[in-house]
Amino acid sequence: MRIEKCYFCSAPVYPGHGMMFVRNDCKVFRFCRSKCHKGFKKKRNPRKVKWTKAFRKSAGKELTVDNSFEFEKRRNMPVKYQRELWSKSVVAMKRVEEVKQKRQARFVMNRLKKSKELQTKEDIKEVKQNIHLIKAPHAERPRKLEEKMVQTLQEDMEMAEDS
Amino acid sequence: MALFRKSITPLTCAAEAMSRMFSTSTAREALQKMSRVRVVDNSSLGNTPYHRPPKCIHVYTKNGIGKVGDKILLAIKGQKKKALIVGQRMPGPRMTPKFDSNNVVLIEDNGNPTGTRIKVPIPTSLRQMEGDYSKVLAIAQKFV
Repeated sequence: MRIEKCYFCSAPVYPGHGMMFVRNDCKVFRFCRSKCHKGFKKKRNPRKVKWTKAFRKSAGKELTVDNSFEFEKRRNMPVKYQRELWSKSVVAMKRVEEVKQKRQARFVMNRLKKSKELQTKEDIKEVKQNIHLIKAPHAERPRKLEEKMVQTLQEDMEMAEDS
Repeated sequence: MALFRKSITPLTCAAEAMSRMFSTSTAREALQKMSRVRVVDNSSLGNTPYHRPPKCIHVYTKNGIGKVGDKILLAIKGQKKKALIVGQRMPGPRMTPKFDSNNVVLIEDNGNPTGTRIKVPIPTSLRQMEGDYSKVLAIAQKFV
């Protein structure tokens, strides 16, 4: 039993799900559901269809180059059967999967962090533009005016004392 | 219960006319007489060009419909030849592949294949089917 990848959206296709299509050049296409199959029949390019993994990877929205992906690559050299290798591989697969998920999540989080900076900038701009909703524009003026008047009065008094 | 099957209230004129309008013949599926077919083995009969494509002239099933694993009679190059269906465009049972063309392997009367190699992928469901397809499966190179 093998869990294949959907040709269109790269989702896992479990046994009993989806459809397989064999083209006349002997290339086999597996689809996870009729949505992907219909897209294929409409000749849509999965690298341009926004919700597919192919698009996300080609547009840099998801982790593409990482060592944890090397474990999944297909090797064409058959390996001699060894019992411990077999059982250790299962354990290793679980660990690799954990590491891979963490790295992918971190990549996405880093990508989304940028939005926080942009959001704070936007907020500052908005507050500056709309400060008149919170505080009257010339609210500080009368006090400053008063202070200025007080200052000029004091100067006048000093001048009067001197003269 | 049978009494309730027939409608007690008489249908109106329009409804009666409507109920007479649909066709009741069964849907024809997959391969049948006059279907054009693609020969996928390396036999000379299947690969030499002829001005007419190989056509099915008889299907050896109870109904005249041929699916994967059924034997049919083909008219190729003016001759009659038996063949085995190894791939159909119509979707079949779940977990079987769908092909881009109706593929067929030429066969003798005793079930031996005429060609010596089949390069096109053959569905593995043929192994489970009733009938002696072992010789055909033996010359197949790729399974799907």
